[in-house]
Amino acid sequence: MTHANVEIGSAGGRRLANTGLYAIYAVAVLFTLFPILAVVMLSMKQPSEVFSWPPTFLPATLNLDTYIYVLTETTIGRMLWNSVFLTACSTAGCIAISAPAAYAFSRLKFRAQKPLLLILLVYQMISSMVIALPLYRYFEALGLLDSHMGVILVYITVEIPFTVWLLKGFFDAIPPSLDEAARIDGASRLQVLRIVILPLAKPGLAAALIFNVIAGWSQFIIPFILIQRAEMLPISIGVLNFAPGQTEGEITIPYLAAASIIAMLPALTMFVLLQRYIVQALTGGAVKG
Amino acid sequence: MSQVTIANVRKTYGSATIIPDVSLDISDGEFVILVGPSGCGKSTLLRMIAGLEAISGGDIAIGGRVVNNLQPKERDIAMVFQNYALYPHMTVADNMGFSLRLSKVPKAQIAEDVAKAAKILGLTALLDRYPGQLSGGQRQRVAMGRAIVRNPQVFLFDEPLSNLDAKLRVQMRAEIKELHQKLKTTTIYVTHDQIEAMTMADKIVVMRSGVIEQIGAPLELYDHPRNLFVASFIGSPSMNLIHGRVEGGHFVSDGGHRLPLPRATAGLEGRPLVYGVRPEHLALADDGFEVEIAVVEPTGSESHVLARLGDNDLTCVFRERITLRSGDRVRVRPEPDNIHIFDAQSGDRVIQV
Repeated sequence: MTHANVEIGSAGGRRLANTGLYAIYAVAVLFTLFPILAVVMLSMKQPSEVFSWPPTFLPATLNLDTYIYVLTETTIGRMLWNSVFLTACSTAGCIAISAPAAYAFSRLKFRAQKPLLLILLVYQMISSMVIALPLYRYFEALGLLDSHMGVILVYITVEIPFTVWLLKGFFDAIPPSLDEAARIDGASRLQVLRIVILPLAKPGLAAALIFNVIAGWSQFIIPFILIQRAEMLPISIGVLNFAPGQTEGEITIPYLAAASIIAMLPALTMFVLLQRYIVQALTGGAVKG
Repeated sequence: MSQVTIANVRKTYGSATIIPDVSLDISDGEFVILVGPSGCGKSTLLRMIAGLEAISGGDIAIGGRVVNNLQPKERDIAMVFQNYALYPHMTVADNMGFSLRLSKVPKAQIAEDVAKAAKILGLTALLDRYPGQLSGGQRQRVAMGRAIVRNPQVFLFDEPLSNLDAKLRVQMRAEIKELHQKLKTTTIYVTHDQIEAMTMADKIVVMRSGVIEQIGAPLELYDHPRNLFVASFIGSPSMNLIHGRVEGGHFVSDGGHRLPLPRATAGLEGRPLVYGVRPEHLALADDGFEVEIAVVEPTGSESHVLARLGDNDLTCVFRERITLRSGDRVRVRPEPDNIHIFDAQSGDRVIQV
């Protein structure tokens, strides 16, 4: 849409500009995609091929043996399930808490409203790395180490600030007279949120969902610190176990590659499925229905 | 019984006082219009009656029950908003039945009530549509339908016609008035448009800066404005106002022009005053005072003439079609029964003839 608006005199000139633009797109896509392709190729190589000289991009034979091995002979299924569980619970929890909070920030007038919003923003900027050590000590004291519940609570906590800001933006775009009409019609504040605001903020909820799922799926430091027991690890930590050297000097790089690809697929699938909503969410503020 | 009583109501935001002290009685079935320039507190007052704004002092009672601390939903009122405030994700029928759904009325009953209201407003064919598919006038009607379905004690309208074009506004004005005559529900209506107020209200409340300037029937306000503000706010084109003083039985404008006074005006000599006369109360007459024509606006049914009397602009409305042109000099005379004299300092009316 934007490139169509580029003001260039002749039709030929415009075509040239488009071609240039698509060439840039192509380079950008290649740049982003290349590492992933390299890992896909790597995952299908025999261990002997990995360090062969000169290096090859394509594997000698296309086979899915490494995938079958990883899926059947390792605990990756368990790790995937752990990730799904942690991500689903934290996403649900985060949105359940953030939506009413964002609604309050959007609609109610209360003391310290602006400072509180700013504090949320500042809190959002603190890296997990910074809180890692104290977090470990607290959770040890609370007996929440090696517990999915503990990890979920932390995920929710770190994702709330952004989710609140995101949803507040969407709620702000809904005219307050709708709330007022609903309250006169007999709705309580919670009913207003549930029946009027949330259905109208669907693109915002979709954006929050995607953000939370992707953030939850790729959490690394928090589970790395809080979970030690192998059977409780999410996939993001789990793929580390496929690293070479951990299984008696054997070359395990293709397995690591296959595990990485498998670990990526659920988040990717989710993104593809919901990308219609992402576009809607990103343009939602601009083109008000 | 659904009279509304507003007693000594105040509204302050922090240190800013929006409404210092307002009292108003509205009887059962009355159509009351709050009118005034923007920022006069009329919408705030309406929103306080609705319960959307807290009151800072005083009492509001609906149907004899003090509602100061009740939620909007407990006040048994319905409100029509300026932007209609229809729920975009619900059909017309769902919009209209929303309040009944919330109060857990059986579905069959909701359908029946919605159908009845839709019939009154001519919305039957549109019940399955979404608000986005309706025109402005239709949305306005749905918003009214949503109010009617609830059968409340009081209807509140907050500038409901300001988003409509001029022609539709005239039509909806008549529809709202007709609806009120049919339902006889107590109605409080806020507008900044004095024509809406004049044409629809049983009683007009003129407000300025949070203070009620005058309460009365439309023609009462028109004929007997209590002060300069009401005099100039009500009526279109608005009343001609000329500053001057009384000298020797005549009103002498600051520009030195002599205007007739209807009767002895003892005690007014020397004070700065304002002479008020409505445009249609000026008639062409050989024994009148001379003015110079600036602009003639024929509207078809009447002629609006903008004339100059010294430094003062004077608007005249003549029933007859006139052939005057810019620059012509004519004599006009005010009807003696319709001259208003105000105190220039306080703005209050000093004599009403």
